[in-house]
Amino acid sequence: MSEFFLELFSEEIPPNLQISARENLISNFTVFFEQKKINYNKNYSALSTPNRLIIYFESIQNEVIENSKEIKGPNINVSDEALKSYLSSNKITKDKIFKKKIDKGEFYFYRVPKKKFKTKSLLEENIPDLLTKIRWKKSMKWGTYDLYWGRPLKSIMAIFDRSILKFNYHHLISSNKTFIDKNFEEKTKVFRDFKSYKKFFYNQKIIINHNDRKKYIENKLIKITKLRRYKIFIKDKLLNDVTNILDRPNIITCSFDKRFLNMPKELVISTVEFHQKFFLVYDRNSQLINTFYVVSDCPDTNGLIKKGNENVVDARLTDAEYFWKKNKSKNMIKQVSLLDNINYFKGLGSYLDKVQRLKKIGGLLSDEFLISKEKVELACTLSKVDLLSELVNEFPELQGILGGYFAEAQGFDKEICESIKDQYLPSGPGSVIPRNNYSIALSISDKIDTLVGFFGLNIIPTSSKDPYGLRRLAIGLIKIIIHNKNNIKLKDLINFSCQVYSAQSIKFNNKIVIDKLTSFILERFKYFMKEKKIRQDIIETSLIDFKLDNLLIIYIKAQKLNKIINKEIGVDLIKNYKRSFNILNTEMNKIDNENFSNVDPALFKSNYEKDLYKKLHDIRKDFNNIKIENDYDTQLSLLSTAKQEITNFFENVIVNDGDEDIKKNRLLLLKLVCKTFDNYLSFAKLETTK
Amino acid sequence: MVSKKKNFLTFQNTIFNLQKYWSEIGCVILQPYDLEVGAGTFHPATTLRSLGPKPWKAAYVQPSRRPTDGRYAQNPNRLQHYYQFQTIIKPSPDNIKKLFLNSLSVVGIEHNKHDIRFIEDDWESPTLGAAGLGWEVWCDGMEITQFTYFQQMAGIQCNPISVEITYGLERICMFTQQKKNVFDLIWNDEGTTYKDIFYKSEKEFSKYNFELANTESLLTKFEIFEREAKNLTIHKLALPAYDQCLKASHVFNILDARGAISIAQRSGYISKIRDIVRGVGELWLQDKY
Repeated sequence: MSEFFLELFSEEIPPNLQISARENLISNFTVFFEQKKINYNKNYSALSTPNRLIIYFESIQNEVIENSKEIKGPNINVSDEALKSYLSSNKITKDKIFKKKIDKGEFYFYRVPKKKFKTKSLLEENIPDLLTKIRWKKSMKWGTYDLYWGRPLKSIMAIFDRSILKFNYHHLISSNKTFIDKNFEEKTKVFRDFKSYKKFFYNQKIIINHNDRKKYIENKLIKITKLRRYKIFIKDKLLNDVTNILDRPNIITCSFDKRFLNMPKELVISTVEFHQKFFLVYDRNSQLINTFYVVSDCPDTNGLIKKGNENVVDARLTDAEYFWKKNKSKNMIKQVSLLDNINYFKGLGSYLDKVQRLKKIGGLLSDEFLISKEKVELACTLSKVDLLSELVNEFPELQGILGGYFAEAQGFDKEICESIKDQYLPSGPGSVIPRNNYSIALSISDKIDTLVGFFGLNIIPTSSKDPYGLRRLAIGLIKIIIHNKNNIKLKDLINFSCQVYSAQSIKFNNKIVIDKLTSFILERFKYFMKEKKIRQDIIETSLIDFKLDNLLIIYIKAQKLNKIINKEIGVDLIKNYKRSFNILNTEMNKIDNENFSNVDPALFKSNYEKDLYKKLHDIRKDFNNIKIENDYDTQLSLLSTAKQEITNFFENVIVNDGDEDIKKNRLLLLKLVCKTFDNYLSFAKLETTK
Repeated sequence: MVSKKKNFLTFQNTIFNLQKYWSEIGCVILQPYDLEVGAGTFHPATTLRSLGPKPWKAAYVQPSRRPTDGRYAQNPNRLQHYYQFQTIIKPSPDNIKKLFLNSLSVVGIEHNKHDIRFIEDDWESPTLGAAGLGWEVWCDGMEITQFTYFQQMAGIQCNPISVEITYGLERICMFTQQKKNVFDLIWNDEGTTYKDIFYKSEKEFSKYNFELANTESLLTKFEIFEREAKNLTIHKLALPAYDQCLKASHVFNILDARGAISIAQRSGYISKIRDIVRGVGELWLQDKY
């Protein structure tokens, strides 16, 4: 067994490309080893710094033995000509073949002898191909070379069992050395094993393992924050970005002028964390303070780096402050008409058209939520005014939020300001979901209007492309409904939105819009339930009678069922339903058109039938009791009370009676069982657990 | 050429040093192109010369006009007119990163005392039909340079590949002179400031770009330039045709600053220019000059 490691040295590769190249490379190599049946131990990894992509296998088999095997050739009756060409194309001579009878007749065979391959030579032969197989999301050429890579590839170091793996890859020749200084590419050093390679860099405070680097940065940040008794909330995306744009992390504590804390905190967060990739710090009450951490790629020996970074943050915050002061007091109401100058989307009018539509939808929702129609309409009207501001032009990621702050600065009601801030929420996985009804009204209006508009133009996401983020909007709608337990009638709302478009002379084929949007939302809903860890068969079965207006009820029922599905009560429910359902399934044609209410008690021969019939009647009566209409736990336990009667029936009654009428009557009784269960939700697609 | 009086490089010395440095590397030191352009990239020494097989090395200062960035001289960082120093080398040399880092030391940025980072920034110019991959170079968190390997220009795949290094001269000097306001930059050893030279023009051009530019006549001009460019491509005159594209592009930028072009119209205007530039690129390649 031998150690193998490969280092691909290049100019700085961006974080996303690094990550995908790591994943690609390691899978290319492991697949290759498996194909060639080369064993390797579990200790392998793909690592990276911006300049180095590294593949490391601690221990790989040195040789593989391919056992001898017989290869079938043509039938023995083949013409001499054909046999000749067979031999020559397989590079074998006539004395190597022999005849052998098998089921299909007699054939020529030849034996490939047992072969030994050296892993080393296999690697030398195949590494170029494995490198070519990296699927770069973006790649480039440079100089006069033909190679495509994430950024210019400068050297390849390939070591197997302490010595060089020799191969050419385009204009590059592999070696056992690499550039040790990433910028000047002058000094090189020879390496023989991974341990010394890692150690060499570690001694220069360079951490080549991105996982270790990430942990190192995270721990340091937390440690120094704790020392000062502050708080830090490290965003994983930011930490990942920072980890993958440096290799020699060093943390510098910096600060900015306290006056910037008077601006909306989102402006500071966006500037410092999003644009500059620094980390902000909070006090014990989780209030933002004027300290931030810069993770530099080298030590700051004379304080220049600290000063420089502070100056940049100061300049950027000054810029933001300049626009904030200028924009916040600009009368929002007076600006609304200017929205007519901004095109919302070709075919969907201007932003003024859009806010007028939002006003209508929002108004409708305000009636439903019993909140002030006037406020909702005003919030809708003002919702897009921030798009006219220079500040949103500078910080497009803060649209909505800034509008809310402008409204606040101009003294609008709290609900109006909050709802403008919240209109694009939820913005992604893990995002906050609007809670108060004003925010919900605006957020839903905006999403419905966008979805209906784009579906109306037949701009519908495909499996790979969703340039306008429509999936996120649909998921957002679902989340708002479920998390707020707000049973909004989506279908009505979509219909209404179509009418609102139509009133602006934007005509869609409403039926197609509703159909396509329904199945689109259904797909998102499935995905949502899956995320919530609801069992697949429950998801399937709960969607049998899918209605867009019932999202909340479907979800709650599926979730309740999911909770008990593996408990005794759940197992029994499914078992009893399935026994009835399966018999019905095989005899379906006999009672297909018959209503289960046609069960005729006069045809019962035993008490088991009578008992079951009575029990089902009782349950059905209770189901209609208004008190349990929204109490799904009780509904489930009610269904479970039929357990004894159903078991007794199956154990003592034979459905398949000689008398056709009796048989049919019993089948109808089973249909009644199923229909009674289906009052909760259709159980048809549930699967019995073990 | 560090000024003896002060501990930093003046604006003009920064330019002199870069010119001298790249001249020693073998670049042709050109003067700015004499038309209004949005960036050094638009100079034909970059756009057209990056096409075709012939090696090319050049460096020059290019005054760059971005009407929408004007702030009436009220913002410490934004200008509608500023300077770029541009280096273009074809084919991109293997040691270009080293050449670049060394060039920073001639403008007073010692790379080993600062945190120099190469942050992903893929560049695209829809107007030129151009795209490239590269970075923005950060020095202690400040973007000081764009570093791009052209992949496509005028809609044509580049082969061999050129590398373009664009220094933001104001940013670099604000960094080396430790100024928070661009207008406080020191231009020469006499102590002339950036404000002395450009304050008035920033104010006046902001007013012109945002408020007074006659949109009707600009729209007419755009059409005239477009027609002229097309006619010149018919006569196979690449460079004069390209000049007309630059003029049309600048007119478009002012119209944009005036808010006279809706988002829907935008791409239409851009593609008009791009189509002509593409034709110009093809003409350039046909010509064996």
